[in-house]
Amino acid sequence: MEELPPAPAVAGTSLDGTKLLTITAEENAALCRSTGVEPTADGSAHPIYYYIATQVAMGKTVAGICETCEFDVEDGPMMGSSGVRFSAPLMVGESYKVTGEILSLVRKLSRKLGVMDVLTYRLRLHPAAGGDAVLETDNVWVLPRKELAA
Amino acid sequence: MSYSVGDALPPFVIPAASPDAMKQWAVFLADPNPIHLDVAVVKAKGLGDKRINQGPMNVAFMMNMLLAAFPGCRIEAMDSRFLDNVYEGDHLTASGTVTAVDGNRVSCEFTLDVLGRGTVNSGTATLVI
Repeated sequence: MEELPPAPAVAGTSLDGTKLLTITAEENAALCRSTGVEPTADGSAHPIYYYIATQVAMGKTVAGICETCEFDVEDGPMMGSSGVRFSAPLMVGESYKVTGEILSLVRKLSRKLGVMDVLTYRLRLHPAAGGDAVLETDNVWVLPRKELAA
Repeated sequence: MSYSVGDALPPFVIPAASPDAMKQWAVFLADPNPIHLDVAVVKAKGLGDKRINQGPMNVAFMMNMLLAAFPGCRIEAMDSRFLDNVYEGDHLTASGTVTAVDGNRVSCEFTLDVLGRGTVNSGTATLVI
């Protein structure tokens, strides 16, 4: 089998955000109800905001990350896994900012998908006022490389 | 309330994955990917004939199951794997089992299953109760 060309060298690319994200009571309530539950009365936001807030306020869009990886978002990136470690709950009415970076882009040969790149990136959510991150999340995406199919 | 390894967690059921919720989540996620919104696009891409739920919404269903199982708890850590798509109309059940208890920390494993198709998400979590 011919050796695969290397994946683009993108590890270390900054995903620091430039805008703030505020979780509003209205949106949190709508989000909770869309998943079949009522919002809590203690002011905490639904914990899935770990994913939403970091995606919305990071420094690149999903399409932008794909472009950095020299991958056309129209080719269908797929979520592989998502992990989160919370150090504090997310709160309604609070504003947050994001820091983060691409950790790796690894080219692999899959029996099911053919050639694919596995993208791992890490994002942290910080209070806008400053201080330690309230969470850190690692997301893994699979980028099928149709153009490299045998 | 005490918990033991092997305890089954009460399931959280979504009778039918909702296209209206997918529209809302396109806004929440600031992600207008048409596979969540437009059946014609899903068909054109060869991905089936139904709109596809956003993956993070599936994670939210599993979080709802965990939070209901341990009232007043806080999720400290959670890892989820995406194994297959959820389509509009799918009947979903999130369920789980206690795998460890350490003081006020409980670890669990869990799945999200589609009626008739099996597991589409799985994962582990640690909760502070």
